[in-house]
Amino acid sequence: MYKENTIPVVVKTIQIETPFVKRFTLTAENGYILPGFSGGSHITAYIEGSEGLLERAYSLTSYGDNNESYEISIHLSETSRGSSSYWHRHMKIGDKLRISYPKNYFQLSYRAKHHVFYAAGIGITPFLSMMAELCERGASFELHYAAKSREFCAFYHLLRSKFPRQCHFYFSCEKAPKKLTYESLQHHPIGTHVYFCGPESFISSFKDAAIALGYPYSSVHYERFTARSSKSAAPFLIELLNGETIPVSKEQTLLEALLEKGMKVPYSCRAGRCGTCELKVLKGEIDHYDEFLSDEQRNSNSVILSCVSRAKSEKLLLEYG
Amino acid sequence: MKLNELDLFPYPFHDDVYRYSNNSVLMDKPSSVEITPNYLEEINLKRKLLGSSPARCFQSLPYAKKAQWEVLEIVAQQLADSYPDKFSLDKKGKNWVFCNTLLNENHSFIIGDDSTLPHEPLDFIGRHVQEDLILMMQRDGDLYLDAGQLCFPANWSLAFNLGMKFKEIHNPIPGFKEEKLDDRILGFLLRVEAGNPWQRKNWSLMAGNRMDTSLETYDQWGKDRKKVTRENAGEFVYLRVEVQKILRMPRTNGILFTIHTYLLSLDEFCQNRKWLEQFYSILSELPEYIAEYKGLSMYKDQVLQYLKDKMKRGD
Repeated sequence: MYKENTIPVVVKTIQIETPFVKRFTLTAENGYILPGFSGGSHITAYIEGSEGLLERAYSLTSYGDNNESYEISIHLSETSRGSSSYWHRHMKIGDKLRISYPKNYFQLSYRAKHHVFYAAGIGITPFLSMMAELCERGASFELHYAAKSREFCAFYHLLRSKFPRQCHFYFSCEKAPKKLTYESLQHHPIGTHVYFCGPESFISSFKDAAIALGYPYSSVHYERFTARSSKSAAPFLIELLNGETIPVSKEQTLLEALLEKGMKVPYSCRAGRCGTCELKVLKGEIDHYDEFLSDEQRNSNSVILSCVSRAKSEKLLLEYG
Repeated sequence: MKLNELDLFPYPFHDDVYRYSNNSVLMDKPSSVEITPNYLEEINLKRKLLGSSPARCFQSLPYAKKAQWEVLEIVAQQLADSYPDKFSLDKKGKNWVFCNTLLNENHSFIIGDDSTLPHEPLDFIGRHVQEDLILMMQRDGDLYLDAGQLCFPANWSLAFNLGMKFKEIHNPIPGFKEEKLDDRILGFLLRVEAGNPWQRKNWSLMAGNRMDTSLETYDQWGKDRKKVTRENAGEFVYLRVEVQKILRMPRTNGILFTIHTYLLSLDEFCQNRKWLEQFYSILSELPEYIAEYKGLSMYKDQVLQYLKDKMKRGD
């Protein structure tokens, strides 16, 4: 499995942003400067919870070249038994944890003539660094941000003071309720790129509305944070074209089982990233753990990266051998 | 480049058959550059080439300046961290001092201020390392060659490729597109993450031991391919291996691609019996389209005969 290098950090400050959102600043444990990052970046935080190692992605909400600290903002999920609850209820100033290097899968478009951000709730977080980067570049942008009320609207005051002309707020539970709808999508100039972040239902409905209105796919951007399941591996069987059946134990990967039998499967990274060890699957259900295949390829259930992925069903029939 | 020690040579093969593939592996110890015993010799050659043919050896597009500074920062910091007896980087706010004791040079500059450096940032730091440095910027889901310092190319042109997309650059490789390797490798590169750099090795054969085999000077070195014989192959033909490192730059989200070129004569290479035997298998099975692209069709038979003689003699 791909095990990334991490940076040891310390919790420096904890601030209350709203009744449900806390802001945490993190500094490098050795006092060094942290790596710079681009607008839209996030880190993966690793914390030891009561139920084992928790791994969650959080957008970096600070922005600047001099990175003596990072800031992340975490919303307490009402149903959370894991990560957000740990951050809100147990994390103290001075606590140590490990984080990944900054990653960016929500990069600003370079060809956009105008950028429009749509945020619902804690979905505001990636847009803070993106707007700061656009400000630095002198580019044109606006924000449409939905929250229950001013009180529950994270970064309300900061946004109002930093980007007074660009922000539009929609408070659904105030005296004069205002709802964020698809309406504004119809009024952006040609060359606009739209960015969505928030709950899954918010992202998919706004994305579909934008596409239906005729926005090109390449002008519609969104970020979902889905936690990768890391449940323990189970043994399974593979059947080859020549009829041979090979067991894959829970300690070994499919690639290892094939190599052990003397099969010359090409491979390189053994981390589910380079794509060299891809094999065709004719029958059986695949449990994908790679970072290489597209969603379309994954859902087709017809290719597997043998170095990390496994079977959901008892047996996989491979077009191999 | 001549190496007396086979130990230092990055042997590029791990199978008896060679095909194009994404043979990248995660690096155990992250690094962008490495210093070898040929440091002074290669730096002198690099600087000579940069002086005599600047447009062939360095190119940049104006919007890549911020990323160029990030390249300088990454490489200078790594030199200071990995070789503290040879390099140092002292940072006082924006005032930085970079010392290279191998060349006995000290440079003071203000980070981000072009006017405080004698060259553009990537060109500057490239003059302190043996590697060629290529900067690919990521924009709208694609990678573009937006700056680079290239003194030791294996028959390609930086000036020609400047500003091109990843797939456009690799278009000439036979089968690359047909087998969708271009899509697959681009997808891989787009997912390379900061702090977790990758490494791969690429190989070809060279008639002669010239490091600077640019497309622009093909007329000078290309004709040597006709001079290879079964008798002279051992000292005249070199295995050329490029150790390529691929790093994500977190601040600008670009990719830094470094290329360290190693040359070893076949006579030296064949001192390792296992290498000799494996290379013989690879070369005798190598499909014509790969041999042609690697520029060794013209003298492949002579090299095979030479290798066969070596194996028979058992020395």
